[in-house]
Amino acid sequence: MSFWQALFMGLLQGATELFPVSSLGHAVLVPSLLHWSFRQSDPSFVPFLVLLHLGTASALLVLYRDQWVEIGIGFFKAALRGSITTPTERLSMLLLVGTLPAGVLGVYLESRIKSLFSSPYVAATFLIVNGLLMLGFELLRRRAERRAQAANVTQQEREERFADASQISFRAALIVGACQALAFIPGISRSGVTIGGGLLAGLRHEEAARFSFLLATPVILAAGLVEGPLLFSSGVPVGEYVLGAVLAGVAAYASARFLLRYFRSGRLDPYGWYCIAAGLLSLALLTLNL
Amino acid sequence: MRSNSLSIGLAVLGVIFLVIGVLYAFGVLQFFVTDPNSPHHYTHLILFVVLAAAAFIAANFTRERAV
Repeated sequence: MSFWQALFMGLLQGATELFPVSSLGHAVLVPSLLHWSFRQSDPSFVPFLVLLHLGTASALLVLYRDQWVEIGIGFFKAALRGSITTPTERLSMLLLVGTLPAGVLGVYLESRIKSLFSSPYVAATFLIVNGLLMLGFELLRRRAERRAQAANVTQQEREERFADASQISFRAALIVGACQALAFIPGISRSGVTIGGGLLAGLRHEEAARFSFLLATPVILAAGLVEGPLLFSSGVPVGEYVLGAVLAGVAAYASARFLLRYFRSGRLDPYGWYCIAAGLLSLALLTLNL
Repeated sequence: MRSNSLSIGLAVLGVIFLVIGVLYAFGVLQFFVTDPNSPHHYTHLILFVVLAAAAFIAANFTRERAV
């Protein structure tokens, strides 16, 4: 991988990790479509991904630094007391419950699923599936809004009728957490399925995005730290990779800020249509070998 | 739901998770590992320590208390 390719991949990963468009799908598709010669099965590619993920997780930690301090304190207080008294303590326990299924499934299934689905054709197909999922989540959400008799009000007023992240049930947090495992399939977006799951659990769009980003941080960080020793393997261009990771972090920070603002009144539909269009276009380009 | 028997069950589960984690770390347990020749599986150790912590927290939440 050349210097510029490393920078481009860092920017791409950071920008697409938090948007509901599948960073893994883009990481598989874009190099194939550009006919880049590096192979993602190459052993030196794994440390690169590790650093990119650490860059993204760092951006999320910086973005939510105050909340993470409160969540950490709330977690230990509630765990030692054996009861929940504040919304922050409840949120900390919801995050633990939501992280467990992703951790178990990640350790036991991630590498197997990724090796099964690493073809660009499969990534393009699942990108279309991801788009359909986003549209499906919004369709179900619109039904919930009609049931809540929120049809004839502005989008912001409509959003206020839905819940905060700390108000969802533990069962919903467990299901949303388990949905993260779907993102091991290139083309399926982790943030997309968790935001969609949050919407189905009755969260506001902005809160669903916040819950998704908070839920992502420990999983991405743990994956990065566990694979960390690979960085010290011989032949790894650490300087080049670190620069890619910094770019990934900057892009992830900007994306998260944008998305939190966007979801105050926006929906998942544009990303759903983008995924369908990008998947179809990629399939056409791959088939025609352009 | 508060019940001492549930709380004890969860605490026992926590201990089992800890034991499984240690067995993975020392390479005694080779269940569902990516590379069976690898002697240490710290990923599994971390996972089972987290699961054990969650089980102990759940045990603390479910234990009956004197009012």
